[in-house]
Parts: sequence; C-alpha cells; structure tokens
Amino acid sequence: MLLKKYLSRFSALIVSSFLLLSTPLISAQNLENGQQLFQTLCARCHGMLGEGSEGPSLTRPNLVHAPDDAALVSLIVGGIPGTGMPGSRQLRGQDGPDVAAYVRSLGELPPEEMPGDAIAGAQVYRSIGNCSSCHILNGEGFGIGPELSNVGQRRTAAYLRRSVTSPEADQPRLVDRFRGSLQAFLTVRIVSEIGTYEGMRINEDAFTVQMRDMAGEIVSFEKSDLISYEKVEGHSLMPGYNSVLNEKQIDDVVSYLMSLK
Amino acid sequence: MKLSVLSKTKLFSVFLLLCLGNSAVLADTPFEALLADETNGADWLSYSGGYKSQRFSPLSQINTVNVDQLKVMWAYQMQPTGISGAALQETTPLVAGDVMYITESPSSVTALDTRTGRVLWHFVPDITNDVLNIGFPRINRGVALLDDKVYVATLDARLFALDARTGAVRWETTVADNAAGFSLTLAPLALDGKIVVGVSGAEAGVRGYIDAYGSETGERLWRTFTVPAPGEPGSETWQGDDWQTGGGSTWLTGSYDPELDLLYWTTGNPAPDWNGDLRPGDNLFTCAVLALDPDTGEMKWYFQYTPHDTHDWDANQIPVLVDGEFEGQQRKLLALANRNAFYYLLDRETGEYLLGEEYSYQTWSEGIDDNGRPIVIPNTEPMREGNLVWPSLQGATNWFSPSYNPLTEQFFVPNRRMGAIYFKSDVEYERGMPFLGGGEQPLDGDDASGAILALDVMTGEQQWEFELQTPPWSGVMATAGGLVFGASNEGNFFALDAEDGDPLWFFNSGAHIRTNPMGFSVQGNQRVAIIGGQTLFVFGLE
Repeated sequence: MLLKKYLSRFSALIVSSFLLLSTPLISAQNLENGQQLFQTLCARCHGMLGEGSEGPSLTRPNLVHAPDDAALVSLIVGGIPGTGMPGSRQLRGQDGPDVAAYVRSLGELPPEEMPGDAIAGAQVYRSIGNCSSCHILNGEGFGIGPELSNVGQRRTAAYLRRSVTSPEADQPRLVDRFRGSLQAFLTVRIVSEIGTYEGMRINEDAFTVQMRDMAGEIVSFEKSDLISYEKVEGHSLMPGYNSVLNEKQIDDVVSYLMSLK
Repeated sequence: MKLSVLSKTKLFSVFLLLCLGNSAVLADTPFEALLADETNGADWLSYSGGYKSQRFSPLSQINTVNVDQLKVMWAYQMQPTGISGAALQETTPLVAGDVMYITESPSSVTALDTRTGRVLWHFVPDITNDVLNIGFPRINRGVALLDDKVYVATLDARLFALDARTGAVRWETTVADNAAGFSLTLAPLALDGKIVVGVSGAEAGVRGYIDAYGSETGERLWRTFTVPAPGEPGSETWQGDDWQTGGGSTWLTGSYDPELDLLYWTTGNPAPDWNGDLRPGDNLFTCAVLALDPDTGEMKWYFQYTPHDTHDWDANQIPVLVDGEFEGQQRKLLALANRNAFYYLLDRETGEYLLGEEYSYQTWSEGIDDNGRPIVIPNTEPMREGNLVWPSLQGATNWFSPSYNPLTEQFFVPNRRMGAIYFKSDVEYERGMPFLGGGEQPLDGDDASGAILALDVMTGEQQWEFELQTPPWSGVMATAGGLVFGASNEGNFFALDAEDGDPLWFFNSGAHIRTNPMGFSVQGNQRVAIIGGQTLFVFGLE
C-alpha cells in the first residue's frame, strides 16, 4: 500500500517532468541528466524521490534557501554554510543547472483547468463559506486552520476540492530539522486536571505537546501532567462543506483558492 | 572565620588532590590512565569512556532522586569555519584533569576549561571547501588523548598530533587520498604508543583499511585492508576486480581488550551499496567485526554480521566488551546492536557466535542460524521499481553509542524505527564520485519513530522502551546513579530511570541533538555534557 503510494508519486513526478519539457530552456536530456546526478549526489540525504530524509523534502514550489534558479544552482554546487548541505563541486558546466531544473520539477505542479469562477469563489469564501472564521488570507481572518494566502502554489485543484469536502482525507506532513517530522494538522484531544481540550497540534516532543484550541488559543502541556492524550488520526477539525455549499459553489471556491499564488 | 572565595577554592583543590590524586591541572594521559578510564569517573579519556566502550559513568552524585535539579553550569557556542555543510556536531568531549577537548565540524579542535567553559586554545586545520565527503555529512566525532598530545583525524583524511597545552601541531600525516573519496570522521583510538584510525569512503568505492601510527612520530606502523586482494583469505568471496572498489569502511572507533591484547574494529558496507549484482559473493570482510593484533594489525578472527549486504547496513556500531555469565559459563563477550536490527553476542576471545536476537522491527530476515548467518527472506533486496524493507538504510541503530551498565547487566540502545523503499540502478566506478548503484526513499512522519531500549545483555530480551517522536541520532550513557542519559532530534536532553525507563528529567536544548552524552567531574562535582545544535551544554547539581 505504502509502496503503491510512493510509486504513484513517482509517476506524478515523471508526468510533471514531461509537462516541463514544453518550456524551451529545459530539454528532456537536461532533466534526465539532472535526475541521474540528483540520484547519485543528492538522494543520499534528500531521498530518491526528493521527499526528504536527513535533508529536507524538495517536493515544494518554494525552497527556503533558493528564491531563484541562480541561487539554487549556486547552493547545489557550493553548499550552504551553517547547515548540513555540503554542495557538490564535482558538478561541471551544465550539470549544476540540470540538477537545479530537476529539483524545481519536483515541486512543480502541472497546469490545470480551473473548474469554476474564481471571482464568484471569493464571494463564497467571504459569505456563505465563512472561511475567514478559521483561516487567515492576505492578512485577514482568524488563525485556527492553516493560512491560505499562497495555497494555490502548493496544492492542486483536486487536493483543494478534497480539503473543502472531506478535510480529513489528506494529512500533509511537516518536516523540520529541529522539530522532526510531524503531521501538519493533526487533531489532538487532551484531558488534564484543569480541563478537556481539543485542537490542532502545533509541536510535540517526547515530553511536551503544544496545541491550538478551537478558540485559537495556544496551550502547552507536559505529558507527565496529563490524564489522557489522544492523537486523532484521520480526523480534521474542519467540517466538510458538502452540506453547506452546492457543487458550483465548491468549484468556485476551489478556483478562487487555486488563484492564490 | 570567613574564607575568601580564592582560599576556599585552594583548600578544596588540596582536599581533592588528597582524595583523588589525579586532578592536577592539564593532566597528561599516559597509557596507564587509559587502562583505568572505565573506573575513573572524574575524567573521560577516550571516545567511549574506556577501552571496553561501555559509555558508563561510575559516578552517582547525580541520581534518580536529585536528577530533576540538574542545571546548566556553562555553555560553549561552537565557532563556524566558513566550510559549507559543516553545521552538524557529533563529537564526544574528552576530559583530562581540568581540560575538555572537543572537535567542531568539520575538523577543528577546541580545549576548554572544565570549570568555566572558557576557551584555552582552538585549532583549525587548513581544509578547503572542495573537500570530498561522499555518503556522509561533514562531521567529526572527537579526539584521542595520549601522553601530552591530542590527536584529531580530519575530513580530508589527515591525522594531526597537537600539543595538549597549546594546540600547536607536533606532526601531521596523510592517512588516505581525499580525492579518491577517503575521509576521516572518527575519534582515533590511542593504544600503548600508537594511534589507530579507520577510514570512510565506501560510498565512493574505496577499499577500506585500518591504520596504526606511532604516537610520537606519526610513522605508519601497519595497515590492514578490510577487503582481501586475490589469493588472500576471504578473496574467494569476491569475483574479478570487484575487490578493488569493494568498500568496507572502518569509520567508527573500535574497542580494546588489554588482557587478550586484541583490538576490535568494525567494518562497513560493500560497494556499490545497493546493486549487489555487481559484486557477487559474501564480500568479506565487509559488515563485520575484526579482531586484530594491535602490534601487527594481523587479523585473529572475524565475524560477518550481514554477508553480501545490499541495504547499506554497515556494522560500524560500537563493539561493547562485556564480562559475565552466558548460559552458565563465565565468558569474555562482545555485544553489538547491529544496524540490521539484530543484537549479537560473540565470544571475543575466539569470535564464536553465541546469540543473535531481533531487537527492532525488520522484514528482511527470518532470524539468525546457528552459525550466526542471517536467514534472508527472498525478494528483500533493492529493486529497480523500489522495494519496501525495514529497517531503512540508516538501520535500527547507527554510529551513535549504546551504553552498558555492568552493575545491572543492562544494555541500552537508541533505536530507529523506520522503513525505506530501496532502489537499485546501474553504476560504473569513477574515482572521487559516488559509487552507489541505487538509493532509498525512507518512510517518514507517522510511519517512523524512535525509542531508547533496555535489553538484558545476556539474552537481548527487551526490559523496557522509552518512545521518541522520531528516529534518534543520539547516543546514550548509563551511570552508577541509576540513570540513562539520552537525547532526541527534537532537541531534548533527558534522563531515564534505568530500572523502568521512566523519564525523570528533560531539558530543551533548542536544536537537533546528534551526539553522545558523556560524564566527568569538576572538583568532585559530577557533570554531564551534550551538544545541541552548535552549543555544548554542561550540566551539574552544584
């Protein structure tokens, strides 16, 4: 099952790579060369699929240390001081840009037809959807769920449709060097002597847990003080909007979210 | 009468000298002191706290009753060199007398005053940014001490002897050719008049070896290859020229039994890592432990944990020397929790296999047969389309140290619980380039976790586990105070009750921890040390 999941992701990468071929600057040979070099030089730390290992996942559109392609090539060759990234000085000529192109392809999303009307979707977001009661978007709203300001950069329309209709369907991960690997939006239920709490886990180690409750308040606990601590797998604090929005409204709000880049 | 601070200190020092006899300022480290390192709680003179590599502190001032009162006595912020990718710190500090010696990535050495943390000297070797490190980070695990010198092995494959009082270079020698992919990251091991080192580089297709150098001159005394040349014993497990690029790195510090006069050193994966089709056979002496004559390097016996490894399960874990009763008979044992998820006991006099027990979830072997050979489950090797196997290439444990408490016969192991999809691909050897033949994509997030395990050293049976959020990169240290110190990726440094694994104290260092804890004392007061991120923390009660 897990293998199937990973192989389907691998296929998706290949598809997105072919889509990239339509741009004149990157040839199939460039990407293939970049992929081979990546698997030889980079995969030891970033994983064969670029999904992270000792090094961070690269399957994202924005890379913290590489705001543009030139910076990406530079750090692939030269490394990053103050981190575990050593750089690969064996790369010569076009090899660095080829690896950079392949790394970029890992986080590229294929262009999509939008299912609805983004302007109408913005209205749905503000009115009947009342989405800002839980999400911050471009500085406005209440921060219980994830911020949505650039959500169209990192998700597909199909993903966001699931997020609206079945929010529990996807459980994205958060990989952080210092915090380790955590489910990004895991629901936790905590009972202490002071009270009972339900909310979204913000951080956790072997001894403590931090969560944001449904009022948006941050609460921190020592695990040894707790009466019970439950991680609610496959659950989302967000309700499904199937019964609130009709099909067109869902298409519109998905199109609106996809326009946020 | 009220004493001044100075006179109080003086009086206390005199008292300590009378009591301990060995706490002189800037103490030298004669071989005799290394022989007594295990029982000398005040110092920590070698990587694993003694030749038996038990990483056990015999001090008990800090114990299960008062550990929750531990506080930071001082901290030291490491000094960046400008070498990229050198921000992971894996050193174990050594302490001799009043001086602590640490390495800083990639290969600097710093001497610190153990009372205050103030820098006494700092040595930075002339390593350039184009140094090769193929298959591992730009790190260093620590120094060795012998007589009046400090020894550091460098990322660009040199060995330096430094003056212990000033950090000045006494001699340096080139151990291997970095341009071919050799590096040195380990803490050297000091024996009587000699310094032993091993090499990294199997991911570049090197042919591994162990070297000994004269401690005074730097002259090479012997070299023992871990992959035999044609005609040598073990060469029947290789075909054609495969041995020339066969791997078998020796990148972790070994152990020594002065009574048997045997040096124990572990070896890493065969090369290329994941495409075993390119090197048929058992690939001796990779993924093994070797018993060597320390005067000649001659191999007395070997034991191969993972024949024909295709998952990069180096046997470069700490070989812990244990004396005790095994199945009714007093034995000299070698205990090792292997990356391949099995815990092994060998007779360290003869190399006889005694025990192999699964200590962590794995999917590649039905068990270990009577000769110590794993019974491999078919179709568990890397495949072109990927193949999901537990444990991941980083193994069920790794280089970070286990600990053994001889008082309770407990063996403590930091445990990584993670699977990976292993891929196989074609590869041709090219000097100075990765020689891998595949790769892995580890499972992460909720499919992976970690733990500290307590095992019965004689049976491998698990006594308790303390669960960690993610697969750890830190070692453990047990103490005579009934504690096990450990650390986590999330940055916690913590103490567990050795009896049941209950957490008794923790501290958030604020950064990823990937070092081993160690212990010593300052003027009779016990200390424990750990590095979180770039900061060394020293803890004590008073």
